[in-house]
Amino acid sequence: MAVTAESLQHTLVEEHEDPREHLMFDPKPRGEMNGMVMDSMLTTSWKFWVVFIALSILVAVFLFGAWGYLIANGLGVAGVNRPSYWGIFLVNTVFWVGISHAGTFVSALLRVFKAEFRRPITRAAELMTAFGLIQAGMCIFMHMGRVWLSYWLIPYPNGRGLWPNFHSPLAWDFLAITTYILASTMYLFLPLIPDLAMARDRSTGWRKVFFRILALGFRGTEGEWTHLRIAMGIFAFAILPVMFSVHTIVSWDFAAAMRPGWSSTIFGPYFVVGALQSGVAAVAMVVIFIRSSMKHMKYFIRPEHLDALGKLMLVISMAWAYFFFNDYMVQWYGGDKFTHYLMHFQESGPLGWMWFALLLCNVVIPWLLLWNRKVRRNPGLLFTIGLIINIGMWFERYIIIPVSLTINRMPFSWRMYRPGIEVALGIGTLAFFILLYMIATRLIPIVPVWEIQEGQMAHSLRKVGKATVKSVSELD
Amino acid sequence: MSEMKTLLALFEDIDPAVAAIDHLRDMGIRDEQINVISGIPLTESMLGRPRQWSNVPRLAAGGSIAGFLIGAFLAFVTPLLYPVSVGGQALIPGPPTIVVLFEMTMLGMLVSTFIGVFLDSTFPSYRPKEYVPEISDGKIAVLFNCPADNEMAFMNAMTNLGAQSIAPAELQKL
Repeated sequence: MAVTAESLQHTLVEEHEDPREHLMFDPKPRGEMNGMVMDSMLTTSWKFWVVFIALSILVAVFLFGAWGYLIANGLGVAGVNRPSYWGIFLVNTVFWVGISHAGTFVSALLRVFKAEFRRPITRAAELMTAFGLIQAGMCIFMHMGRVWLSYWLIPYPNGRGLWPNFHSPLAWDFLAITTYILASTMYLFLPLIPDLAMARDRSTGWRKVFFRILALGFRGTEGEWTHLRIAMGIFAFAILPVMFSVHTIVSWDFAAAMRPGWSSTIFGPYFVVGALQSGVAAVAMVVIFIRSSMKHMKYFIRPEHLDALGKLMLVISMAWAYFFFNDYMVQWYGGDKFTHYLMHFQESGPLGWMWFALLLCNVVIPWLLLWNRKVRRNPGLLFTIGLIINIGMWFERYIIIPVSLTINRMPFSWRMYRPGIEVALGIGTLAFFILLYMIATRLIPIVPVWEIQEGQMAHSLRKVGKATVKSVSELD
Repeated sequence: MSEMKTLLALFEDIDPAVAAIDHLRDMGIRDEQINVISGIPLTESMLGRPRQWSNVPRLAAGGSIAGFLIGAFLAFVTPLLYPVSVGGQALIPGPPTIVVLFEMTMLGMLVSTFIGVFLDSTFPSYRPKEYVPEISDGKIAVLFNCPADNEMAFMNAMTNLGAQSIAPAELQKL
């Protein structure tokens, strides 16, 4: 009886919830919302500049300084060596490609399924895609060592008789990541055009010139909206298979090799879900950071959005656990001697703590906490869980790449990987990502105002019997 | 034929704007002489306007075919141009070919969709055009051509239908 009474009480509380708690039922005049977004862009506190300068120094020293040192001294200053040829460079590549997945997932998939909570957070997520892919690309170029010879990858007649083989998994990577970075940048830009036009109309000085150039002369005529709407529809559907293909192809870099721990048919979806796991957690972190650090953002980003992201994180964490266990089970049951050596090494070797930590971060903590509505709606807690998940996912990639490379089918070559300059470069890429993001928040409207107004127009409250229920109209 | 004039009527909400469009038709203004400018996408069915033509889907289809052909060149022709023979392996293997074809087809489709928006909307276009900044603040502008000698009748009609302002359209630097 107690349970029944409790659930009844919960239902009554839900029924009497003030609809204005939801962004879609708390509209403001468009001019006011525009003003709030512009104000948030133009307001820069001293804290912003302190963080900006600190990150700039980190980028200068740890990214460009360390990269310059690497170029000057060669790959010998990095820890990559036999048998772990792919160290933190590749860990970070996979990590950043994973982060980049969330932008497309949150924006495109939720647009396709008309999930309304996406509206204020799509741009923040799309920006993550673009900036995450920049970091991933840089990690690959760092790993090349002699980066000035990277043009050798381009097919052109040359005296050395070197030609790229387009059937190689590394060429697929190149094609997939290039397709994805171009597609996600275009997908970021298209819905941004109306907001750039809004910013143009409300700016002066150099910002006016900047927004004027980027707004391309957009006015909002029927034709312009039609072309934009159709294009965004095509992008939302077409970019999803590209997103899935990118991380699947990244996984094939590993799975196509006959190495213990890597040769697995489940690696494609396992990597995709892993990417979503870290990416959606990163979106939650970014959204919470924007909400707490930028003016007026509490109006646009509300506990309902954090709640929805928290649910998404929980579901994806369950999916990740499913694929992780699938991969583990088949490798364990297979009975291959070297795979068993590797599995023991992962769990009880010097980095065994990392293997258990990844389970704690990716499964135990999210499952224990994210079922709770109060936790999901608490910005500080959700941010912390997002951070923990991302640490766990970085550990997972570390276990998959350098730790798995340690144990191969030639025991005489077994050797622990000890990172060198790549640690500094990893810190540098993280700082560069945050720096780019901070600059972007001051240069472009971080909230798609027109999408929010469109959503508020589509939402209404109606009476069903004695209850007032929320309803959404199809505007397309 | 009398001289034509372009007027811009600004409305707060969609309903009076739709009523104004209907009234303009009753006053003899054809659909192609009317344009609606708004800060959010208003569909043809909301405005009661004829369907807008867009080449974007056709360009996307064309782009995907072009991408497929480039992918086919990379997958089928480059191995023949410079054979890289790896012992016991096919020169043109099947499954990797699918990967190359897929990526290039999608790239072609997405790039041409993006370019399609630019072509159909004639972006970038920075020459002065009829516009008022209030549009991006949520107002709906109905822009129409009418006979200059009947301008006052149109202005009065728009005012009576709830237009916040009605004036000859001025070119704004965008």
